[in-house]
Amino acid sequence: MKNIFNKQGQNLIKQLNASATCGISMNTRLFLLLIVLVVTIILGVIAILLITGTFTAGLDERETLFQNELLHTSDQISGQYGELSVQVIKFSEELSGNIEQKAQDLGISVSELAKHPDKLEKIISDQFDVTYLSLERFKCSGIFFILDATVNPTLYNSQNSKAGLYLKNMEPNIINSSHPNIIVLRGFPSLGRNNSLSLHTQWKMEFDVSNASYYHLPIQAARSNRELPLSRLYHWTPALSLPGTSEETMICSVPLIDSQGNVFGVCGLDISSMLFKLSYKPQTGDYSRLFYILAPHSGSAINLREAMVAGGYSSRIMSKSESPLTISQTKGAFYSYHQGENISFWGLHTPIHLYPEGSAFADKQWIAAILIPEEDIVLSITRLNVLLISLLLLLVVVGIIASLLISKRFLKPISKGLELIKSEDLREAPRTRIPEIDNLIEFLANRNEALYEGAKQKNLSFTLLDEFARNTETLSPSELSVYDLYAQGYTAKEIAETLCLSINTIKTHSKHIYAKLNITSRAELLLYVNLLEEIDKEV
Amino acid sequence: MKNNFLASILLILIMISTLAGCGEGAKIDPSDPVTLNLWHNYGGQLKETMDNMVDEFNESIGTEKGIIINVTSISGSATLHEKLTMAAHKDPGAPNLPDITTAYPKTALILADKGLLTDLNSQFSDQELSAYIPDFLEEGRINGDSLYVFPTAKSTEVLFVNTTLFNRFARDTGAKMEDLQSFEGIVRTASLYYEWTDQQTPDVANDGKMFYMPDSLFNFSLIACKQLGVKFINDGNFCFSSPQYKRIWECYYQSAVLGRFAVFDGYATDLAKTGDIVCSTGSTAGVSFFSPTVTYADNTSEPAELAILPYPVFEGSKKTAIQRGAGMCVIKSTPEKEYAAAVFLKWFTNPENNLRFVSSTGYLPVTEEAFGDIMSQEIDKVSDDSIKKLLQTARIMQQEYEFCIPPLFDGIDEMQKEYESQLREVTAASRASLNHISESDKNTAYKTMAPAAFDDFINQLSKI
Repeated sequence: MKNIFNKQGQNLIKQLNASATCGISMNTRLFLLLIVLVVTIILGVIAILLITGTFTAGLDERETLFQNELLHTSDQISGQYGELSVQVIKFSEELSGNIEQKAQDLGISVSELAKHPDKLEKIISDQFDVTYLSLERFKCSGIFFILDATVNPTLYNSQNSKAGLYLKNMEPNIINSSHPNIIVLRGFPSLGRNNSLSLHTQWKMEFDVSNASYYHLPIQAARSNRELPLSRLYHWTPALSLPGTSEETMICSVPLIDSQGNVFGVCGLDISSMLFKLSYKPQTGDYSRLFYILAPHSGSAINLREAMVAGGYSSRIMSKSESPLTISQTKGAFYSYHQGENISFWGLHTPIHLYPEGSAFADKQWIAAILIPEEDIVLSITRLNVLLISLLLLLVVVGIIASLLISKRFLKPISKGLELIKSEDLREAPRTRIPEIDNLIEFLANRNEALYEGAKQKNLSFTLLDEFARNTETLSPSELSVYDLYAQGYTAKEIAETLCLSINTIKTHSKHIYAKLNITSRAELLLYVNLLEEIDKEV
Repeated sequence: MKNNFLASILLILIMISTLAGCGEGAKIDPSDPVTLNLWHNYGGQLKETMDNMVDEFNESIGTEKGIIINVTSISGSATLHEKLTMAAHKDPGAPNLPDITTAYPKTALILADKGLLTDLNSQFSDQELSAYIPDFLEEGRINGDSLYVFPTAKSTEVLFVNTTLFNRFARDTGAKMEDLQSFEGIVRTASLYYEWTDQQTPDVANDGKMFYMPDSLFNFSLIACKQLGVKFINDGNFCFSSPQYKRIWECYYQSAVLGRFAVFDGYATDLAKTGDIVCSTGSTAGVSFFSPTVTYADNTSEPAELAILPYPVFEGSKKTAIQRGAGMCVIKSTPEKEYAAAVFLKWFTNPENNLRFVSSTGYLPVTEEAFGDIMSQEIDKVSDDSIKKLLQTARIMQQEYEFCIPPLFDGIDEMQKEYESQLREVTAASRASLNHISESDKNTAYKTMAPAAFDDFINQLSKI
């Protein structure tokens, strides 16, 4: 193909050079005309694409797509987290009442739990059913309650060891499993064995609350804001792993408060990273590395270690890094999110309100963000534009080839016609099926024929005159004298007088002259003589 | 003529491109990666190892070839079996099948019967397959020659012993660890342990503790029959008539009824966590499920040292152990996804990565190369003491034991469940009926009830 174009180019250059001296060929003229048309059309298309913003449409389209996705998912997150918050408040109310009642049945008040470790197993076991049923009912991966007491206050660090129950649903995304896969993460082993539940691989009997924000923060909030209802005291932790466990979860916890207003523990539920991932995985199939995060937000940075992530992209890779994700605005609607110097994402984010107005934790800000590695979005836009440009280039190439072929094909019959015109026998020449050329050939054929006929006639006259001239040479001297005088316009009588001969003698000479010159009259003789004079031929 | 020439050129070009395609597998554009959803049963302590390996794959060969592995479920093997079965049957509420999943052959059989699995023979050359241990490959061949379960990590069963408890007991009683090499020795030691623990609390009668639990009663019976040279299942039916089976039954039933062995519908590691048993037989992969501490009822705890011994044998029988462990199945989908799944499996099971996985999980490698000298060299580098002991024991067993594969046919899953539940039920009932009988009368009472219990057990199972 390239060679063809090179060859065509070289021919064109040759023709253009030649045109400087002997004009541009019809073929080249037509080809150039068509090229001008093609280029005009392509430039028009490019102008339309630029005016309509097609080259940047990919980015705009993605912005809209991402905005819709984010809107949908953030609504979903707000709705489901809100619903879980309400459920955990009701769970707290139910549990607080049950525990208070059970403690009273055992002859103690809930504020005295710490002093009666021997009663804990009974009190906790009594809450198993409500806890288990709540876990089955709520769309969460774990449910727990922690009492401000331990079964063995004599142990080292016992102030941070709290009794309670933590049940985990290992498959919360299976809606109707006949046997929910619920196991005991924290609690008395008897609870698992009596209820046919396994102990979690990382089971411990009690909670270690030494750094447990999900335990301390709601309790502190409840103790320092006694007027606040439970709906203003629940707390959501960032993503965290419980000590000794390997799974990341977000925990919502609410204080347990008795009828006297005494805070005696917390209860709550969790959303595991796997549940979050499966619940909110992006539906945009075009981007396999698109992902959502739900993260606490302060200033212009996001700590990914505290974020919940949903999507195919391995978020662990970025969360391994200690550096936060800093947010900066780009020219368009997209934001740019940088982690260190090498990792960069594009995306959008929106605030998520996990707490109502007046909550003890209302100052905690959360955002939901939809992110994609920068190179993915740049690549997809580039790919679209490369496709457009390739199509335009293809159009140019097709235009050039079409111009070349059309100009050749269009001029081919004309060239053929011209060649035919050059042929000798136009009458027999084949028709070109182009009326103008066929008419021209016809016209030229007729004209040639007329010319031929004229020439033919002319040629015949010359033959007679030549013969006449040759015949004059056969005349005798006396006949020649008579002939000369005839030629000078004399009549027979005048000749007889001039030559002093009788008229009969002249008539005899005339008879011989006519016979020799193959004519029949003096008028004919004079015609020949005049014709000979016209062609300057002397006799 | 000219047109024919062009057509021939076009045909040749198409053929060349097609043949080139055959040689290199389905093409994946690295800038437009394929995402594969993976379900696995490497939870708990194994999760971190698996997560790290998946991350490493995604960052290295995955990025290079345009493949992203996305873990969408981590379940226990029983739950995974249930999920896969639900998904295969399209039960309401069941999740969609993943692209790759760990599965035991019994699960794969269900999926294969529904035509949901990819035959991995098409993704591996003969030369590539020759690197794997033939028996492991054979276990994954279902319905003829089709390779549906690719061996990624295998396991066998061993004896786990809490030496913190055992040594304390041995110091007082003279019990020997060597006795645990045979089931008869375990029965004797369990009796001794029951008596010793009963004596620790003179005020409370009959509160001796359990000593041993077989994690799977079905595997225990299957291997015991194999050791004693009789069939446990023949033509899809249990074979209970042999005296050898009676010996196996009594080994478990008697000790369990008398409180020496555990009767527990759960994993032995649950009881081990609270010091309720001293030893158990179970999968090598279970090593990571043993807690490094034992927690007692008063929330006190102590570090638990673990010894790992070869699988016990019945006295005078052949050293035989089970060969088990889930492999990975690839769900039928697009050629690109199937090719990508094979790339992951090849990477995951290459000797270096396979050993890395093995050395932190307690599974056994699947290639000849990894099981050979490399493993001997790698054992010394393993930082986890329990896994080091486990790999050493596995090496000994590899040399001294014969391995058998569990039978595989339609309905085996139900048979296994029924066998275990009936055996537990009849044992638990017998134990409950002996609870109120004094220790001195227990043996007499046991002898009276045992034959009837055995008949009852056989009758119950013959109904299925």
